[in-house]
Amino acid sequence: MADPDFQRQALAHIDALYNFAMYLTKRPPDADDLVQETYLRAFRFSHRFQPGTHLRAWLFQILRNTFLTFYRVRERESPVAEDGVPEWDVPMFHHAPDNDGTTMEAHTDLERAMRHLPEEFRTVLLLAEVEGLPLEEVARVMACPVGTVKSRIFRAKERLRGLLRDYETP
Amino acid sequence: MSDRFDETSDETLGRRLAGELPRYTAPPRLRVTILDTATSRPRRPVWLTPLLSAAATAMVLALAVIPVLPRIVPADPAERYVRAVVSEHSRALMWGSRHGEVEPAGLTWVTEQSGIALNQIFLGDERLEFVAAEPVYLERQRGVAIHYRDTDGHMLTYVALPGSGLVVPDPARVQIGKWRPALLRDNGFAAWVWKQKDVACFLVSDMVSSDDVETFKEYFTRVRASTEPVPAY
Repeated sequence: MADPDFQRQALAHIDALYNFAMYLTKRPPDADDLVQETYLRAFRFSHRFQPGTHLRAWLFQILRNTFLTFYRVRERESPVAEDGVPEWDVPMFHHAPDNDGTTMEAHTDLERAMRHLPEEFRTVLLLAEVEGLPLEEVARVMACPVGTVKSRIFRAKERLRGLLRDYETP
Repeated sequence: MSDRFDETSDETLGRRLAGELPRYTAPPRLRVTILDTATSRPRRPVWLTPLLSAAATAMVLALAVIPVLPRIVPADPAERYVRAVVSEHSRALMWGSRHGEVEPAGLTWVTEQSGIALNQIFLGDERLEFVAAEPVYLERQRGVAIHYRDTDGHMLTYVALPGSGLVVPDPARVQIGKWRPALLRDNGFAAWVWKQKDVACFLVSDMVSSDDVETFKEYFTRVRASTEPVPAY
């Protein structure tokens, strides 16, 4: 298990991770579980973390991988476009429909639009625009080239604009 | 107003995301839960390592000792002989005869080595193929083993040993023509047991089902009628 100093440094990013988890899972209980599992894995494999590299990006990477491994079934259920991004978002949890009472409410149109983006678009915007990670770090978290990250950001914003425009239209 | 987002540049949208998108903060209990879970993982008890080590050592010792432990052998001499013959048959079945090069022409050598002379020997026919003959050492006695294979692929082993002390068990005797050998079973094998003068004879195979036993009787007749072992010295 990780030493207390590493645990302290990692836990300093808990809010950012929780925010990311909330936008991925859309449900507070799932976000709790996801963040907890992320930290347990990070502590267990702390020896693999290279000091001097971006700890927050490393934690985001673990969280996203955990999410994709344990939570998401979309890749098996949804058609995927050429760049690996599904054409539209589908429910993250086959056991958790959006209207089951535990799904978080969208407070703004922007948040509602974000929730309707495919996970790859949502993740790239959250990491690059909200968390301010460098594109290289985003690419590492998403395990794809920087060019793909740029392309996804462009397309994600395009999609987001379209959604916001729809919400504005009476 | 609907044009607002058409005109929104990527940069502006990025700023909106950073500034307007609600941020969720982790509930305080989550941090506590994570730390509790991380620190409360059960540690390996101090006694577990030596215990596992001792168990592994004991297992290795047991494996080393098992081959030299005294084996439980049947009290009845006939059963003891049959077990030894079945073991020899199993060995030949798995590994082949020790002297595969021994042809019928080499039987003189087998006689010298085994102490059993074969005045007459069954060398096979259209059903049974002669495979090999070789000297064996079973129940502390030298003897001869002859291996056959039938057309269905069954292996048969004929063994002749000096057997003055062997008493063929009467309850197991079966009438086959003019002979009354005993049919004994051991470890999934069947064995005909009979005596020719002072030689104990056995014919073993895996033919244990009722249909197979009928065929096995025929094989016994073929071997018994054409083989005459006698002590050579």
